[in-house]
Amino acid sequence: MQIAVSGGKGGTGKSTVAINLAVELAKRFKLVLADLDVEAPNDHLLLGVDLANEEPVNQFMPRFDYSKCTKCRKCAEVCEEHAIITLKDGTPFLMPTLCSGCRACEIVCPVPGAILEGSRLIGHTYVTETHYGFTLVTGKLREGEERSMPLVVEAKRRARNLDYELMMVDTAAGTGNTVSKAIEGSELLIAVTEPTPLGIHDTELILQLGRLMNLKTWVVVNRADLGDVGRVREIAGRYGAEIVAEIPYSESIVKSYVSGRPIVLEEVPEAEIFRELAEKVANFLGGDE
Amino acid sequence: MQVAIASGKGGVGKSTITASLLYLLKDRYKLIAVDADAEAPNLGLLLGVEEWEEEREHFGAKVARINPESCVRCGICYERCPYECIYMDDEGNYVVNELTCEGCNVCGLVCPVPGTITLEQVRSGVIRRATTKYGFPIISAQLDVGKPESGKLVTEEKEWAKKLMDELNLEHMIVDSAAGIGCQVIASLGGADVAILIAEPTPASLSDVQRAYKVVQHFREPAYLIINKADLNPGFTKLGEWAEAEGIPVIGEVPYDRAIPKSMAMLKPVVEVFPESPASKALKEIADVIAEEILG
Ligand code: SF4
Ligand code: SF4
Ligand code: SF4
Ligand code: SF4
Repeated sequence: MQIAVSGGKGGTGKSTVAINLAVELAKRFKLVLADLDVEAPNDHLLLGVDLANEEPVNQFMPRFDYSKCTKCRKCAEVCEEHAIITLKDGTPFLMPTLCSGCRACEIVCPVPGAILEGSRLIGHTYVTETHYGFTLVTGKLREGEERSMPLVVEAKRRARNLDYELMMVDTAAGTGNTVSKAIEGSELLIAVTEPTPLGIHDTELILQLGRLMNLKTWVVVNRADLGDVGRVREIAGRYGAEIVAEIPYSESIVKSYVSGRPIVLEEVPEAEIFRELAEKVANFLGGDE
Repeated sequence: MQVAIASGKGGVGKSTITASLLYLLKDRYKLIAVDADAEAPNLGLLLGVEEWEEEREHFGAKVARINPESCVRCGICYERCPYECIYMDDEGNYVVNELTCEGCNVCGLVCPVPGTITLEQVRSGVIRRATTKYGFPIISAQLDVGKPESGKLVTEEKEWAKKLMDELNLEHMIVDSAAGIGCQVIASLGGADVAILIAEPTPASLSDVQRAYKVVQHFREPAYLIINKADLNPGFTKLGEWAEAEGIPVIGEVPYDRAIPKSMAMLKPVVEVFPESPASKALKEIADVIAEEILG
């Protein structure tokens, strides 16, 4: 089973919801939390753990064997990223940063051996045991690399290969295709929002994505006392999404954020909100014994 | 001059600070604002834009489509798609998930039945222009839900902004970058003369801004740092230590201030509605430093 925690814009508290839910749900399910916000992965910081079991993610890049290449230009023509430029006589050259590693050039090259296997390190994945009874999988894009899609795919693959009953994914901000990739395969989408005008604007986008993906969607309103929850309810209603939790602005949450200790471990009222939310999720998934 | 404001991740107050700085600098310079967060644009909202004056659709994205009539269901495309975007539906047809497809055309190249897979150009979003109620123009973009190529949208936004700068004889472009460090941010920072980084004193924000700074270094742009919610976490000194070690000048600290969320709820820059609040005072000092040291 898989569920996703997302939110249209950054900074709404998506990761806070994800890690606290994970701590609670790990009591009922063998759980893997996949941090797929590969451009800014932070779940490990919020959980106070150091990333472990690093594995490189290498991406294919063509290398040309100029002794074999016939300068037919087919590779350059087929490259959707325009990563291959050709000289006047047809000699191909690669501009590495543009290459997405898709292998279209290799597939189309008519001369065996003219395109050789090259590779570039684009990031890492990690598998970290947390102190809370679940495993954290993290994807981390290398600085200067443009494409997060391969990292999201790789991190998700690594998570899928672990032994788990429930995989929870924490996505990046936004609603581009890497967010859909992270969410793909989920049975439930939990959209974390803020009741501010900006938050409401972005909530609509993530609800649209949920609808396009045919996903059951729930809304968690963070910092609920800082705005108009009625407006969020109205928009959620339009998309058939239900508000399942309201979290007030809280100094304790800020502190837990800073100290790397999940709030559900403390005896504070906010912890109860996360526990109830976890209960709801567990009921939804049918894991309530 | 082109100034990019970045943070590595959302939620640290980048757009609020950008809106306030634009407000404070608008009378001293002829500015143009670019909201480069194409996946969650909101600078326009913060600057009171109600209606866009011009809108251009962007058709940069491509997605693959499979014709079920000629498909022989060999599954080769399914096996070869580098991003696992092809699936089998309930009727046993291979289908491309358009919400995740990167448009690389590998499936089309490996399909044994010519013409079964076609790569189609689709709309990836819109780029818009408006004049803010403060008099300066803004360019903003909105990526369509589930589409790739947000970086290309940002590149095009900046090209439009550059044209407007020439036409209207403007001096400075202020770019509010997207969250993250991927294509959108690279497109935001590429070509900028200066980067202003914004971070708050938390481990997560420090990690994000460090990653953003590596991208800045890649472009060899001078960087400055603004610390937001500076008093949020008094025990946390690593942000300042990092800036010092890297030689990044800290051009100001903005205290945590309830006036900020209030002003955001009003969709106005905090310096306009609560000019006497502690945050606004700090922002005014920062605007002066930017004027003196960066914009000249
Ligand atoms: S692997 Fe793909 S993106 Fe890279 S050069 Fe070849 S065709 Fe272009
Ligand atoms: S497709 Fe192959 S043979 Fe043709 S130019 Fe490219 S590398 Fe050379
Ligand atoms: S175009 Fe590329 S990403 Fe899209 S389905 Fe085909 S192989 Fe997959
Ligand atoms: S490769 Fe072509 S024929 Fe084979 S399943 Fe895919 S679309 Fe159908």
